Amino acid sequence: MIALEHYIAVSSLLFSIGFLGVLFRKNTLVMYMCLELMLNACNLGLIAFSRFHGGMSGNLFVFFIITVAAAEVAVGLAIIVALFRKRQTVEVEELNALKD
Amino acid sequence: MNPETYAYALLAFPLLSATAIAFCFRRSGAVASGVSVGAAALILATALHIIFKVENFEYSVSWIEMGSLNVDFGFLIDDLAKLMLFVVAFVGFLVHVFSLGYMKDDPNKARFFGGLSIFMFSMLGIVVANSLVTLFIFWELVGFSSYMLIGFYLDKPSAAAASKKAFITNRVGDFGMLIGIIMAFSMFGSLNLTDLSDAFGKDASLLETAGVTAIGLLLFCGTVGKSGQLPLHVWLPDAMEGPTPVSALIHAATMVAAGVFLLCRTGFLMTFDALTVITWVGVATALFAGFTAVAQRDIKKILAYSTVSQLGYMVAAFGLGSLAAFHGNGGDHAHMGEAVVTGGVAAAMFHLTTHAFFKALLFLGSGSVIHACHHEQDIFKMGGLKSKMRITFWMFTIAVLALTGFPMLAGFFSKDAILAVALEANSAAFYLLVFGAFLTAFYMTRLWIIAFLGEPKSENAEHAHENGPVMTVPLIILAVLSVIGGYVGFYPEVVGGVINAIPHPDSAAHTTILIASLVAVFAGYGISYFFYGAGAKEDRLESAAKPLHTLLAEKFYFDHAYDWYVAKVQQRVASILHFTEQIALAGLIIRGMAGFAGLIGIGLKALHVGNIHVYVYWFIGGLALLWALTGIF
Repeated sequence: MIALEHYIAVSSLLFSIGFLGVLFRKNTLVMYMCLELMLNACNLGLIAFSRFHGGMSGNLFVFFIITVAAAEVAVGLAIIVALFRKRQTVEVEELNALKD
Repeated sequence: MNPETYAYALLAFPLLSATAIAFCFRRSGAVASGVSVGAAALILATALHIIFKVENFEYSVSWIEMGSLNVDFGFLIDDLAKLMLFVVAFVGFLVHVFSLGYMKDDPNKARFFGGLSIFMFSMLGIVVANSLVTLFIFWELVGFSSYMLIGFYLDKPSAAAASKKAFITNRVGDFGMLIGIIMAFSMFGSLNLTDLSDAFGKDASLLETAGVTAIGLLLFCGTVGKSGQLPLHVWLPDAMEGPTPVSALIHAATMVAAGVFLLCRTGFLMTFDALTVITWVGVATALFAGFTAVAQRDIKKILAYSTVSQLGYMVAAFGLGSLAAFHGNGGDHAHMGEAVVTGGVAAAMFHLTTHAFFKALLFLGSGSVIHACHHEQDIFKMGGLKSKMRITFWMFTIAVLALTGFPMLAGFFSKDAILAVALEANSAAFYLLVFGAFLTAFYMTRLWIIAFLGEPKSENAEHAHENGPVMTVPLIILAVLSVIGGYVGFYPEVVGGVINAIPHPDSAAHTTILIASLVAVFAGYGISYFFYGAGAKEDRLESAAKPLHTLLAEKFYFDHAYDWYVAKVQQRVASILHFTEQIALAGLIIRGMAGFAGLIGIGLKALHVGNIHVYVYWFIGGLALLWALTGIF
């Protein structure tokens, strides 16, 4: 039998991988995928809680998150593509024009 | 039609006229004067309709509502307002007509008539206002129009200075009045005149509290400023820099009388102490201005001081009459709040009305003289005008007699009413006011003899000739009113509430008053005639008593004292405050705070390194801090 703890463990693991990825990877595209990973870790947690709680509100949240994430991906990928066209790179270390 | 429609119309005509002149006819004087005089005629018609055909009424609409603050806009038409309405509308119309002649050749005629219209709007607003707030707003507006018209001759520095002086001096008085209004609101929660008078009607013991005395005296500050009472009278003589019709309308007949009207409107809240102060300020002003008028050379300045003096009479009449009502009730205040019109109010309003007629006549007459003498105002450069300007001369003579209180003319009756209340309330004030009547007769006879009799004393006076009917007809109408305005029967029953309250002393007191005033007046005529003879070339008082003449001609050094105060005291205090302000407020607090924020900004700027990873670390750090603060750790 798979208990709530297992779901939470997987969810936490996914979140940590995503978070550390954002922290340490240099490629914007990869960092972006890590962000998505964190969102889906949350989704997994919410679904699990919803299932074990017996209510539907968690599922509702998940739908919203998926919708927003879809929109966010569309915008985010477009930004990254535009960025690459302009700077010929997506490495974070080289994108430091915000300074000054 | 609803009664308030007429009141709205009354205010709309002059406002529309002023707006039209300001926006459309600024360059076409002929159209502007037509519009303005037309508006004045409509005002007169509406006013007469309200006086005779409309019952007394009160009307108000809610204007501002904020929490407990409710301000109404409305009209209160009662006998008092009707009497004042008549004075303002009638004298206003005549002055408009007279101005057609007087200002005929002025290139800035349009601005002048626009100013007259905005003045009529403001003044009528004061008359019909039903609350202290509305009254105060219009009060400030008359101050503005007075400022605008005193400084009408833009190229004269003295006119600019006089208009500024008038405005600032009035501001001093109005500030007191505003505080009085705020105090009244905090004490009674309403500024509606009827509400206030009801509050006093219900609880007469209010008239014994110090707070109410303070309110009364603070409201009186407004009167002191507007009606030129001591010590804020200094602006009124200087206001004569404006065109003469303005002096007649604003600075003699109506606006300066608004102060007296305010006293009468708020008479119900005057306590014994407040009335005592008001009385003595009035008496002191009447005498002071009478003395000062004796040594002036400028025809308009003499008339201006005479106005100040007569306003002193009105204020004193209000004070004395209301004091007499206090005495009459034997200290029992039960009926004070209910008594709508006391003898003092009636005597003051009676003198206000008759004074408006003959003083407007005097000013218009002097305007006629000045116009004929090519803007010569020094009476010692006139002379011999009697034969050259017959109509003006005779009308002026009637006005002089009416003002000085010659028997059977208007001023005689109204001054009698004032002396009657004075005799009842305070015999010292009575004798001082009788002496004031002597002074009035003295200086007016001096003016009359020197300006009109004898030989012409200058080129301009020699070439003087009578003006056209536009200028003489208003004089004749005002002269008729100066004669019949003193008879109670002249006034219609609709203003009976005021007129019937005019005190009529019993026969013994009446004899005393009659003898005293007649002796004073004829002594004034006689001594003046004896002293100045027919057409003195020089001021004989100057050669006879030089120090006295200097004291009077310098107006008891009031202006010098104020100059000294402003230059030496106020200016220095202000520069000290300015210095402190620059160091403490502008330097430390404002610049200091800005500098502090700037420094923090410079420090925080170092955190922006442009590397997304660093921002993520900052983000984690911030999150950790937030957790720590919320106590998760």
